[in-house]
Amino acid sequence: MTLFFLLLPPLLMFAASFVKTSRTRKLLPLSSFAVLVPVALLFRLPKPYALWGEYLVADDLNTYILLLSSVVGIGVTLALLTLDRHVKVSEKELYRFYRFFGLFWVGLSLSILANHMGIFWIGLEMATLSTVYMIKTNRSPAAHKEAWNYMIVGAIAISLVLFGIILIYAAYKPLLGEKAMLFDALLANSDRIPSPFLFELGFALTAVGIFVKMGFFPMNLWLAHIERAAFYPVAALFSGILESGVMAGFFRFSTIAAAIDHERLFLFVLVYTLLTLFIVSFLIFRAKDFMRLFSLSGVEHMALIALFWVSGGTFAALLHFGAHAFLKPALFLSTGVLESTGRYHFAGALRGYHGTRGKVFWFLAGLFMLAIVSIPPSPMFFSELYGFGAMIEQAKASDHLLAMLGAITLLLVLLSVIFYRFVAIYQSMKYEGAEEGKTVYISEVLALTIFAVGLAALLLPGTMAFLKGIG
Amino acid sequence: MVDFLIGLFLATLITALFTTRLYRLLFWYSLNSLTLGLLALTVGSRIGDTAMLVSGGITIALKALAIPYILKTLSQKFRLSRQTPPTIKTQYSIILVPAILVFTFYLAEPVTHMVQGNANYVAISISSLFLSLLLMIEHRNIAPKIVGFLSMENALFLLGTTATGGMPMLVELGIFFDLLMAIVVVNLLLYREEVES
Repeated sequence: MTLFFLLLPPLLMFAASFVKTSRTRKLLPLSSFAVLVPVALLFRLPKPYALWGEYLVADDLNTYILLLSSVVGIGVTLALLTLDRHVKVSEKELYRFYRFFGLFWVGLSLSILANHMGIFWIGLEMATLSTVYMIKTNRSPAAHKEAWNYMIVGAIAISLVLFGIILIYAAYKPLLGEKAMLFDALLANSDRIPSPFLFELGFALTAVGIFVKMGFFPMNLWLAHIERAAFYPVAALFSGILESGVMAGFFRFSTIAAAIDHERLFLFVLVYTLLTLFIVSFLIFRAKDFMRLFSLSGVEHMALIALFWVSGGTFAALLHFGAHAFLKPALFLSTGVLESTGRYHFAGALRGYHGTRGKVFWFLAGLFMLAIVSIPPSPMFFSELYGFGAMIEQAKASDHLLAMLGAITLLLVLLSVIFYRFVAIYQSMKYEGAEEGKTVYISEVLALTIFAVGLAALLLPGTMAFLKGIG
Repeated sequence: MVDFLIGLFLATLITALFTTRLYRLLFWYSLNSLTLGLLALTVGSRIGDTAMLVSGGITIALKALAIPYILKTLSQKFRLSRQTPPTIKTQYSIILVPAILVFTFYLAEPVTHMVQGNANYVAISISSLFLSLLLMIEHRNIAPKIVGFLSMENALFLLGTTATGGMPMLVELGIFFDLLMAIVVVNLLLYREEVES
């Protein structure tokens, strides 16, 4: 029954997008609010709660991720209301955007709630294919090219994930039979696995697929180019919802891998994320427009979350995850206003706002800009403290203390490059450049306020206690 | 019989890598899917798995007949270029293909004692995954890239059939559904390209 209510709003949105009256236009954002009700209900139910037999099971982790995603969904649909005032988009395309947003949401809810590897994959593939169209709502040649690009690279990444899933299934099948598809069964039987090598081969392929999808080494720039070519709500959806869904999968797979051979998993992820951060930090240093800057910073944070998670800093990873899920869509949505005087203008982007709306906007956008590089009291500050603490604990327990400490130092140096660049950009936005008038609409301020409230809620003691309880 | 079909599967995929014409490519893809479907039917009837028989049947109907036909119609409708010369020269591909095969057999070597069936099947599936990736890399035109994506799906199916003795029916159906959705998206993307140009 809860499942029905979870999937009803996006399906309604899908159906309503075919009716093109002015009233449906107001109705569409409302339907994203309706998702919040079943998610809130889900929070109150005893966990783990079976939504659909063993296939969809809600536990604390995925309920948390679903809640974050639904809040982001509300913000994005609010910002969609004024998309046509900032960029040129026809009415038809806007409806199409909603239509595919509905499909996207169905796929994503399935994949986040899945306890079954197959359903996780099917949901992810559905979400990926529906985003191809959202990129295409921008009718420029660049967007067209990037939509194809997304289709091909996304399909490769997703196929790698499925390939890994089949290998994992093959590794467990002699032991568990058809149940070898269920995440909880895999975790419970990890010490009795007949062929660890086959599992690790499968996990490596799955992880590489997941990493490619999130823009890790060596595919660092593909997401940045796509987000540049598409409209800004697409970028917000990518960073806030789609990557959360993908990351949820990584959490599940890596928990099983950690139970089998933690040291090897840690080394694999550490090397991968170090390479990623090394390249991304210099790419961020060279970024010349907001979209690419934020997109690359998204890759950086995803790498950090993955690293914190496998280091055993579950709480740090989840807090970082939540903070990123709110901050990044907020920044992407504000680019609609920030870039209204030109794509490559950092200087003066935070100047020229008038009236209450304008002032609230620049204050929030500036705040988010600084919060993303973990200036306290941003939740990211705390999550990085805990995360690096967990990594140092991991280093003390390992046999290679010096090498590990060296890696952590390198990581901090790379993060400081990013920190320096963001602060420099903030100063240029605020104190340089000409003052040009910019228009801010109420729906955008509302969306940003929702994200700000979400961020503040992450810092509440109750939330922290909840997140600590998940690990 | 299984070995023979898997050999044919690999052979058709390798031949597809060297094709320079679109319709030939579709033909090889269709044969590739046909061997895959026959393989699923053979394995399914041997182990008495009805689900696998069904998915073998669907594979033949969908991947060996319907999808190549749809792609051919689409390529005619949107006047896609029928010459698809690979950007990697033939002499280099000839070196690359065996290198991939040797590498994957090396990779799958530790699995030998772990899989119920033949470990070579795992190796061949992984190598066909890489060969399909090569097919996508070596072409600039969009149509062969789509065929590459579809062959990748075939490689996955081969792994599912041979290494695990059949995936759960739910997953198989989901994969077919997503494949159809992919074809719809491809169709729409091509359609928009036509409208805009």
